[in-house]
Parts: sequence; C-alpha cells; structure tokens
Amino acid sequence: MIYLWVMDIILVASLFLLGGLLKGVLGAAKSIVPRIDAIAGVAAAASKDLDAVVVLLTTQNYISQIVGSVANYGGSLDIALPDA
Amino acid sequence: MSLALAVMILLITLIIAALAIYLISTIAELIKINRGLAVVIGSVGEIVAKSAPVNGVVDAINSNLVAGRNLLENLFLKKGGDDCGGLVESLFPGEGAKFLQRVGRRGSVVNTGIVYTRGTQILASLGRGAPIGAAHARGPAVRDPKYATTAASMLYPRPGGDPKARPKSPVVGGNSPRQFEAALTPGTRPRLRDGSEAPPPSAAPDMPMGGSTGNVPMPSFGGGPSAPTGRVEIATPPPAAAAPPPAEDAGGDEPGRLNVKGKRPWER
Repeated sequence: MIYLWVMDIILVASLFLLGGLLKGVLGAAKSIVPRIDAIAGVAAAASKDLDAVVVLLTTQNYISQIVGSVANYGGSLDIALPDA
Repeated sequence: MSLALAVMILLITLIIAALAIYLISTIAELIKINRGLAVVIGSVGEIVAKSAPVNGVVDAINSNLVAGRNLLENLFLKKGGDDCGGLVESLFPGEGAKFLQRVGRRGSVVNTGIVYTRGTQILASLGRGAPIGAAHARGPAVRDPKYATTAASMLYPRPGGDPKARPKSPVVGGNSPRQFEAALTPGTRPRLRDGSEAPPPSAAPDMPMGGSTGNVPMPSFGGGPSAPTGRVEIATPPPAAAAPPPAEDAGGDEPGRLNVKGKRPWER
C-alpha cells in the first residue's frame, strides 16, 4: 500500500516537472513566430532595395568611359608637361 | 479500489492531458513558424538572385578604377619625380609617406604646400631654377602669408634681368615713339645694316604681272574691246622673242651660264 503512495508522489513531481518543460517549449515556439515575421518583412524590403542593382551595369559603363577619358587626358598631359 | 490507486490514476490522467495540451500548442506554433519561413525563403531567394551579378560588376568597376588610379599615379610619378610625396603631403596631410611606401619609393617627404608658395613647384618644373627643398624642409616656412608674392620672388633669380632695364612695351597710337627709321619705299631703307648710307634706289623695274604696262598678253574675252558675245576665247599670244644665246665668255659661276664643259655650274 505504501508503494502506491510513493508512486503517487513521484507522479505529482513528474506532473509539475513535465508541465514546466512543456511550458518552456511552448514559450520558445511562440517567441519564434514574431521574429520570423520580422525577418520576412526585412527580407522583402531588402529584395525591393536590390532592384537598383541593375543601375550598377550603367555605372560600370560610365566608369569605363570615365577611365577612358582620364586615360586620354593623361596622355595629353604626358605630352604637354615635361618629365621630372 | 483503494484511495492510493485512485490518486495514481488521476495523476496519470493529468499528466497525459498536460502533454496533449502543450504539445498541440507547440505544434500549432511550429506550423506558424513553417509558414513564416516559407515567406522568408521566397524573399531570400529574390535577394540571392538579384545580388548574384553584383560581384562581377563590382569587380569590373574596381578593376577599371584601379587601372585609372595606376595610370594617374604613374603619370604623377613621371611628372612629379622626387617631389611626389611632398605634393601628396601638401594636399592630404599624413598621406605622403604612405603614398611613397605604396608606390615603392623612398625618401623624405617635404610638405611643399607649407614650404613653398602656390605655383612655385610648377614654375620650378618649367626651369626657373627655384631652390626646391634647400634647407627649408624642417625649418620655418619661407612663405609669408602677408607678403607671399615677395617671398616667392625672392626664391628665384630674375629670369629677365633687372626689370628697369627692360625695354618698355611699344606704344600704339599717335603718341607712339618712332623707334625705327621709316622706309622710303617698301623694302628699301635709307641706311644699311652697318649704318652707312645706302645707295639711291634704282628705278623700279617693270613688273611682269598685273598692270597695263606688262608685256605678258592677257586673255581677252569676247573678241577684245567689243561687247561680250558669251564665248570665251583665248587670244593667241604673239610669238616669243628668240632667247638670247648664252654668253660666250667663261663666266660659268653665274647660274644659268654654261661652263667650259658645256654644263651648268651645279652639274658635274
């Protein structure tokens, strides 16, 4: 008979312990959801910001032209100015 | 049934109920997480797709800029010589030594912007002979902010001598001094170069071109002085006079004369 009471005590302790652990797991799972939503918003905004990446191709073209002009200007300076 | 057994069954039931409630709630939250991650993965895929060409484009831009920088730096080193570090130091304080280290050169960095006035370096490179770096590298600046022009002029020898000894600029107008002797006729001056009297100018020879005194027949239009008929006719020139025979004397030194061998002076 006393064994039954001992088992009852163990079950009560297990109930509280299991309840606490499951509550922690549920709280962690609930805390992930808003962060996932925040990440989704940031990712969408970043994806929208990256639409301007196409302008880099134009910038590359312009920079190539500018460097070419600078090269021509340097060649003219090389002829116009005396060496040191 | 004893009381202890009944309590045990009740506790087991409570445990199972707690397990079910919490696990079901956890499963529901995990489902929400899964949906949110699905949305995030879509956006992240867009980011990856859009940022894929950035690396190549930026590398190309960087290579172009590096090529331009190397071009300008080499031109700067070629034109600036040993004063490159000082020029960089004058524009970007503290960067002259780094610049020399980066281009693999050694030497002291003289801040030309502090030591010399603006433009001194350029004038020196044009050959004015300014004492670049002469005892002013660590001493006080020779540039006087109040009398900067005086300080700069003291750096140079006078390239044109004493300014008071230079001839003044010519005066244009009615009050201009007559510095040159006027010519009698175009191309004829009353005095020779050595100051002696020049011989009187001979009569001007007839000019073979232009005016009415010329002997060269000019084409007549439309049959001479009569009214033009619309046709253009070239008058036949009169027969040229026979060329005088070459002189018989042996003056072969004159151009156009034949020497004793029957050749021109320049022919051998």
